[in-house]
Amino acid sequence: VQPPEKPLQAEEWNRLRESFQSPEIFEEVMFNSMVRCNSPIDVAKSLLTHVAKRNGDIAYNLLVKYLALCVQQGQTSEIRDVYDIMKIRFRVLESGAYNLLIRGLSNSDQWRMALTLLEEVKKIMIPSRTNYESCIKAASRHQEMNLAFELYHEMLAKDLVPTLDVLQAFFDFSRGMKGAELQKELFGILLYLRENQIYPHKTFMRSIKLWFESIPGGNWRGHLTSIKDSGQCPVCNHQLEDSDLTEEEYNNLRERIIRDVIHGTDTFRKTSPQEFEAFQKFVEDRFPFDIVIDGLNVSHIKPRKMQCENLFDAVNCLAKDNARLLVLGRKHMLVNSSNWKREIMKEMQNKADFFFAENISEDDAFLLYATLRSGKHCKFVTRDFLRDHKACLSDSLTRHLFRKWQLIYHVKPKKMFLSVFIQQPALCYDCVVQTTGDTWHIPYKDTFEEKYSYRVPRKWLCIQQK
Amino acid sequence: MQSANVLLKKIVRSSVLPFAAQHGMKKDLFPLSRTLSVSFCLKQDNSCSPSEKLDLDAWKNVMKSGLQEEVSEMVSEPRELSTLAAAREILEMWRLAGRSVPENISEEQLKTFVECPSKSAKKKYLKYLHLKELYKKNDKRKMDEKRERRLETASKTDETRRNSFVCLWANCMDRAYSWRVAQSMIFGQPLVFDMSYEKDMSVREVANTVRQMVLSEGCNRRSVDPFHIHFCNFKDDSLYHKEFIKHYREAWGKLLITVTDQCYTDVFPKDKLIYLTADSPKVMKTFDHNKIYIVGSMVDRSVKTGVSLARAKRLGLETAALPLEKYLLWNTGAKNLTLDQMMHILLTLKDTGDWKKALEFVPKRKYYGFVSKPVHELKKNLNLINTLKLGKRQEEVRKQFAKNYSKKLTQK
Repeated sequence: VQPPEKPLQAEEWNRLRESFQSPEIFEEVMFNSMVRCNSPIDVAKSLLTHVAKRNGDIAYNLLVKYLALCVQQGQTSEIRDVYDIMKIRFRVLESGAYNLLIRGLSNSDQWRMALTLLEEVKKIMIPSRTNYESCIKAASRHQEMNLAFELYHEMLAKDLVPTLDVLQAFFDFSRGMKGAELQKELFGILLYLRENQIYPHKTFMRSIKLWFESIPGGNWRGHLTSIKDSGQCPVCNHQLEDSDLTEEEYNNLRERIIRDVIHGTDTFRKTSPQEFEAFQKFVEDRFPFDIVIDGLNVSHIKPRKMQCENLFDAVNCLAKDNARLLVLGRKHMLVNSSNWKREIMKEMQNKADFFFAENISEDDAFLLYATLRSGKHCKFVTRDFLRDHKACLSDSLTRHLFRKWQLIYHVKPKKMFLSVFIQQPALCYDCVVQTTGDTWHIPYKDTFEEKYSYRVPRKWLCIQQK
Repeated sequence: MQSANVLLKKIVRSSVLPFAAQHGMKKDLFPLSRTLSVSFCLKQDNSCSPSEKLDLDAWKNVMKSGLQEEVSEMVSEPRELSTLAAAREILEMWRLAGRSVPENISEEQLKTFVECPSKSAKKKYLKYLHLKELYKKNDKRKMDEKRERRLETASKTDETRRNSFVCLWANCMDRAYSWRVAQSMIFGQPLVFDMSYEKDMSVREVANTVRQMVLSEGCNRRSVDPFHIHFCNFKDDSLYHKEFIKHYREAWGKLLITVTDQCYTDVFPKDKLIYLTADSPKVMKTFDHNKIYIVGSMVDRSVKTGVSLARAKRLGLETAALPLEKYLLWNTGAKNLTLDQMMHILLTLKDTGDWKKALEFVPKRKYYGFVSKPVHELKKNLNLINTLKLGKRQEEVRKQFAKNYSKKLTQK
């Protein structure tokens, strides 16, 4: 339905309602389309008046829809009126109405009212992160940074993840402001980005840069740059943090993988205890390896070629520099078949160690174990992103460690020309927000949306104090 | 003064509002809040706008005037609410706001709702209750309609029919079925349901499982040559047990099945057992009348692959999967079937040994059709159909996308 352009009389509304196919929901549908078309609120008011006169009451959902229209147009006095009416009419309100009220009021000069509403929401449920977002933005817009940070910490304490918008608002509105406390809080936000591996997008990065440069007497200078492969910043010649996992992190990750990925709820799901024990013994006898190869995965790289030939090429190529290789496979590879020729398999076994798992076992779990057991220098070769194994890890911290470790140690065969492996150089520096006190290095994304989670940004913001 | 005020309000509310709203005297009579007077001023301003006959804020007066009494009632009530009562109120408001929320909710359900760990879990649970309520209501409506219709027809045809049998169908059939199942308990082929998955399932999944098992038991009872059903690893007072009692009530004790807390490996010789699981690498070729098939009583709504295969591996049992790929051109959906579908398929196989007939019980949405030609030929046709259906252009776009995508993957 098309909402009318001018307020209508009762009879006119009645006529419209009669002509509508299902009159019971006429008002609802009409209000929905008013919100969609952003009709003038006078029209909506005339409909409300019509409903009120006919029924002597207005249903809650209509009030909420009217409220949505008011919020959309920033009609503060109307929002307040609706709130007053709702308050006397209903004992509690629900989240939808509160969301609208908070959003509507926080954008007006009555933004303090939004704060009281937030308190009201807290009594009945946990406010959503957008509730907090509105209030924080309102407070920082009015330069009440202390209040804004108080809300921000409260939000973090409730395990709500702040939107990048909120974080950006802090930087935008503190521009040029003095105060050691404020500075500390904003550095805290940057460290929050570091801890959660969040990369700011371009506009956010710009806000950070402008804030730094605006600190009175701070003498901060920001430059956009990209880091050299060696991990050195071309602007300030600072060497970025090493990407290696610490000893503790590494051991932690290994234990978690054995516990969550290989054993999980039931060792039998991926392997069997006998098999895992045998594999453990096999690795203990022969480690450390330099490269662990996922035999089956590699053997499918070129579909036109025989599978064992693919593997053969890979082993030959990787075996060149006296590297100790371990190839993981399944028992069926040993059976002479059109894809797996016995002679070639024999020849390969001279160049590398092989372990053949049961046909129904998961060889990826072994791959992870053998690599981690061999130590930090060991790499593995597979095209698999191992997402399902990552998902088995029980907490997000370990999942992140896994991700980091994977980025460093994943040697992926690139597009092969004549079966030549080109190993992708792993990044030797850690791609997170980092600081030395008088410098900050902040990686950022070009676009707002994150296209691939496994891709780390290549662009950096270098900030240094003169 | 007070009573006169109330009286007047009532009059105002009932009929003559448009008239009353335009009278200034109302202002004096109603000791109302600030906003009302504000809106009055606004109204005065509006009076010179094009819609002069319309009082746009009249609805506010209506909403407020009707409420003075109720407000005073509310104040006397204690404001402190228990969490459950508060939750009930929130639910009520959500219902008013038009969310999918059940109209009636029991104390127990409310407790489950409050204990839901996250907002989305709460929403999901409410939607589930809402739909359940809708179905129930619809069923009841249909029942009532049916009863009415029956009453009508009954009053019309009241003549006595002559028949050589006394009409005792249901009872007789029951007895005949029971006799058959009793026979099968002595001579029939065992079929084992493995009831050891309770810890792998949520409460709702257990309820679904039991429902499916009740259906399977029913169709087994009605078949020509029933299985001898065993519930193995069945613990008394387990969640399974409670759900079964909910379904069967006192009939639970009279069911013609064997229920035991022993494992099937203790009851039957190991070499005769075959564990049916969709994850099995082995595909079942024929139905063997001398083997004992095991079905895991588990509904898996989340992704827990290989749980039953792990069990079979642990016990060193033979496994098998239905030859779905061989006989059906698969469309979508997981290859694991519900327990009652499994029962239908096994019963049909037992009676006829005909795979085609048995696999009729696989839900139609999951496959395109039976394989009559070699599979690759069918797939080619299918691609052709899809191309025609989607239009040529779209297909090209998709190919392009696939190409780019693989390029990106390899570049990375």
